[in-house]
Amino acid sequence: METRKTRLAALTAGVAITVLALTACSGSNSPGGSNSPGGSNSPGGSNSPGGSNSPGDSTNGAGQTLTVYIGADGKYGAQQQQWFKDVSAAFQTQTGATVNFQTFASGSEELTKIQTSVVANQGPDIYVVGTTFTPTAYSTGAFVSLTADDWSKVGGKDKFVPATLGISGPSDSDQVGIPFNSGPFAMAYNTDLLAKAGIDKPATTWDGLVAQAKKLTGNGVYGMAIAYKDNFDPWKFIWAMSRQAGNPIISGKVAKVDDPTTLKAYQTYFGWLATDHVVDPASVGWNDGQALAAFASGKAAFFPMSTTSNIPTLSTSAVKDVYKFALMPVVPPGATTLPAGGVGATSILAGNNIVVAKYSKNQDLAFALVKYLTDDANQQFMYKTFGVLPVNQTTIKAVVASTPSLGPILDAAAGSVATPFSGAWADTQLALMNVVVQTIPDLANGSVDSAKLQSLLTAAQKTAQTSLDKAP
Amino acid sequence: MPASSAESAGQSVPSGLAGKTPSGRGGPTANVRHRRGVTASNRPLWMLIPGGVLMILVIVVPILLGLYISLLTLDQYTLRQWLSAPFTGLGNYIEAVTDSPLLKSFWISLSFAVLSTAATVPLGIAAALATQNHFPGRAVVRSVFLIPFVMPSFVVATVWRTMFQPDGVIVSGLHSVGITSGLWLNGPNSYWTLVIVEIWAAWPFIYLLALAGLQSVDHDVHEASALDGASWWPKLRYVIFPYLKGPVALACVIATLNHINNFTLPFVLFGVPAPEDVQTLPFLTYITSFQSFRFGLGAAMAFSSLILLAIPLIIYVRAVKLDVDEGADK
Repeated sequence: METRKTRLAALTAGVAITVLALTACSGSNSPGGSNSPGGSNSPGGSNSPGGSNSPGDSTNGAGQTLTVYIGADGKYGAQQQQWFKDVSAAFQTQTGATVNFQTFASGSEELTKIQTSVVANQGPDIYVVGTTFTPTAYSTGAFVSLTADDWSKVGGKDKFVPATLGISGPSDSDQVGIPFNSGPFAMAYNTDLLAKAGIDKPATTWDGLVAQAKKLTGNGVYGMAIAYKDNFDPWKFIWAMSRQAGNPIISGKVAKVDDPTTLKAYQTYFGWLATDHVVDPASVGWNDGQALAAFASGKAAFFPMSTTSNIPTLSTSAVKDVYKFALMPVVPPGATTLPAGGVGATSILAGNNIVVAKYSKNQDLAFALVKYLTDDANQQFMYKTFGVLPVNQTTIKAVVASTPSLGPILDAAAGSVATPFSGAWADTQLALMNVVVQTIPDLANGSVDSAKLQSLLTAAQKTAQTSLDKAP
Repeated sequence: MPASSAESAGQSVPSGLAGKTPSGRGGPTANVRHRRGVTASNRPLWMLIPGGVLMILVIVVPILLGLYISLLTLDQYTLRQWLSAPFTGLGNYIEAVTDSPLLKSFWISLSFAVLSTAATVPLGIAAALATQNHFPGRAVVRSVFLIPFVMPSFVVATVWRTMFQPDGVIVSGLHSVGITSGLWLNGPNSYWTLVIVEIWAAWPFIYLLALAGLQSVDHDVHEASALDGASWWPKLRYVIFPYLKGPVALACVIATLNHINNFTLPFVLFGVPAPEDVQTLPFLTYITSFQSFRFGLGAAMAFSSLILLAIPLIIYVRAVKLDVDEGADK
């Protein structure tokens, strides 16, 4: 009898523990979950320290900590760490709050962090996200869409270069992304090699560029350096050529990945190696860094770059005195002028945006930090230290005045076109990349079969359309 | 709560110990009666409760959550309010089986795992036999054999990826002896790259368990077979191998499961998007869930693969009667 009692008591205790543990687990989720959607936006966030938030409070952040999630800078790690300390110190002087910077090494790491934070309704207050990822971030509904008031807290919409706001949200009145820095495409070319071949400047059409590249190929030098195996680069060329030919890839609720313009773009991109032979055959295994190394050692005449972060490396390389920048061609393959409906995209709208989490209990403080980060002083500093282009109008004017050689890159930034603002873009981009990855074996064998390419495009089209159909 | 569980634990302290502690003075008689009364039907099963609770929290709850997620249309649009994501029933399962690369990935995973295990077993046993008898430097050789096993998968994959580059040491090495090998990190060869690297990294596991099996061979057995004049092969075949059967069969099951579950190796070797030939089950589930944001479909894929893999596994375990005692008896 007594044993029975003990067992019963223990069983009850066990069940109680389980129930307690379970409620504790869900408990930590639910209060935030139910409060957050409106709570943290509206003054009604009664449990937050800033419950009586008013703009004035943003300067009083004593004892608060803001967490910023930002990509680790692979090239300037030490400088970035120092910058973290400086920003935190300056912000503490200004508001009393400290800033805790957390870094991620890869896009998938950031993706996982965002996913877990969205589900848990807690995590970093501020994220620095790539421009092409902003639509996906927007589609989670987890980030603050800025009101006019919010914009004024970050220093006003006017302070940003208008083009950089092109991928902040689906419309002018619904924007989650605050521009942070910019890094458009540009093409570096070796003036020495071009002069020897009697070419005075790079062509402005893709066909023209290939013709020039053929002239430049020979004696161990190739016309172009291309990173076919890079995990980020190739789709950008496909997108640019398709856009120039009039195909935005996603138009409303319709995907156009299997469009003839896109097939032509892939054929051109692979043709440089397979049929034109203006690219080093080893480049089927190259990432961006390896293509950069080929150009930097004088073994390639043109280097179309999808990022500006290579500039500091080039300026200390063997070709440092014989290279210049130009715009990438803006006339699609097979054409001599821009066709009807085509857009002379010089680049995707590239760079980084800042998004503020809805669950953040320190949103005003977060906006104050964003203001600091996008103000002239910090934008100047980031440009000089990390080689990223400013998004602040004042800063960019100063940079233009002081560094005329950057002209083509600034032109590329001005002529850049935003990728479609769709929650399906991440999937579509992956599908575009997948076509390249699956074609590389054929490319290595020296011939790309059109029928096979077409079937890969059909599969990519299906992926993109399925993803689009899911969007509410 | 911890205090009360400590109290109840205190009651179950063996009487000898309880009698020695001053505080246990009140209890000894009750405890003695308890001990005497313990029978199969009267075992203190409630003592399993902490372990049971832990299992529920760590295993059962996540599985049920996963099962529930697999019935939802959970994606980037519904992630934030995931509990109220639209219910789709078996829709994800149907899509996973009929309209996704799941079945292809299943065959890739299974063949990759079986091939890797089949190749590592002779290697591991041979290495164990080679280091069985004492020779100078045996300890060093045994340690060296373990290097691939103790290296983190990430490091192994990164180093091999560098070596398999089109202008890397492997391609140029093969080229210098007149073999044009083509690409290793893209296309059909990538599958063999995955198998080769997995074999390199995983054979010491078989070696370890085979070594453990060899240690259990009695010295008398060696002596007896020597007296009978058995030459090396019959001795190996009829005397030594039966001892190894149990441990190696167990090693095969564990190794095969490890191969199937290996995510790091293909992920680091090939990156995303991966060549079609190396899209293993964990890789596909990862891409579907965390790159394409289709968490419901990803969960359905994970469950489908669990079922698909459980079938051959159960058959195998039954077939080899995986019981170490039984194996050793034979």
